[in-house]
Amino acid sequence: MRRPSLQRGIAWSGALALLLVLSSAAWSSTVEESELDVQTREIAKTLRCTVCQTESIWESGAPLAAQMRQVIRERLAQGQSPDEIRAYFYSRYGDYILMQPPKRGVHWIIWTGPFAALLIGGFFLYRTLRRWVVQTPASSPEGFEPLDESSRKRLERELHS
Amino acid sequence: MTRGWQVALVLGLLGLFTLFYQGLWGDPKMIPSVLIGTPAPTFDGPRVGSSERLGLEHFRGKVLVINFWASWCQECRLEHSNLLAIYTRFKDHPKFAMLGIDYQDKEDDALDYLREYGTSFPHIHDLTGALSIDYGVYGVPETFIIDQQGLIRYKWIGPIIGDAYTHVIEAVIPPLLNGGPAKT
Repeated sequence: MRRPSLQRGIAWSGALALLLVLSSAAWSSTVEESELDVQTREIAKTLRCTVCQTESIWESGAPLAAQMRQVIRERLAQGQSPDEIRAYFYSRYGDYILMQPPKRGVHWIIWTGPFAALLIGGFFLYRTLRRWVVQTPASSPEGFEPLDESSRKRLERELHS
Repeated sequence: MTRGWQVALVLGLLGLFTLFYQGLWGDPKMIPSVLIGTPAPTFDGPRVGSSERLGLEHFRGKVLVINFWASWCQECRLEHSNLLAIYTRFKDHPKFAMLGIDYQDKEDDALDYLREYGTSFPHIHDLTGALSIDYGVYGVPETFIIDQQGLIRYKWIGPIIGDAYTHVIEAVIPPLLNGGPAKT
């Protein structure tokens, strides 16, 4: 049986926790993204930060990336399409600005290279394994001595026991 | 697998790795600018230390050296004396002009910088960075040279020092002033 002081403590803790949850819910507010914000984010995610290089301009904290996000917003507000905005950045920075290499020219090597390497590697692995299998002599019944009478009887006895 | 196939496979994988490396961590300095040979983007900005505005139109028909800089940029300090030397060397040519574009800077800081290091050619502010993005700037300092027809003929990322300085004053600006092509 629990002591009354312990029960009171648990009750107070529960009430306090409930109060905290309710008060935080009452004060919280959801961040609403406008259509412009969503479009800006989607475009910014496809463009590479020229300062950080391995981050998109959406993820980057560099001032130049922030300015690029602002340029995207302004151009969207002016009525330009996402493709037109990407084309603008491409005309200024070339392939370097794209997070994904374009699917043309020499860039196809990057797109298809890993799959080609996998196929070629798989082919050579198959060939090597096949050669090992062919070169390993198969076990044949001729290699075994026939069972003598006593061994056969013992085997039958153990199988039926 | 024959020896030839093994070598081809290793070379192919190395080539692929190089492409990935170049794509992900390659130095943008080594990538030729897509703007070379294209018309210089037009601009118009407030002059540093003045309310007057200055734009590309002001320099039409001239060989224009545009240098992007900032007072907080350490590499800009390295090249500043060379920029002044370039201006001194060519300023008397009627077809030569030079412009500094102060990138993402405060007016007071920019003025202090110019007072400390000296200036002989005009400078404008790029307060929003939009002008720098229009020129495909990766970071300061960067220098562009525009020919008399208004086409971008040369771009250098980094400070104009050492061989870059010699190249600009000997192989880029003089031919452009004579109406010929620059050596890139």
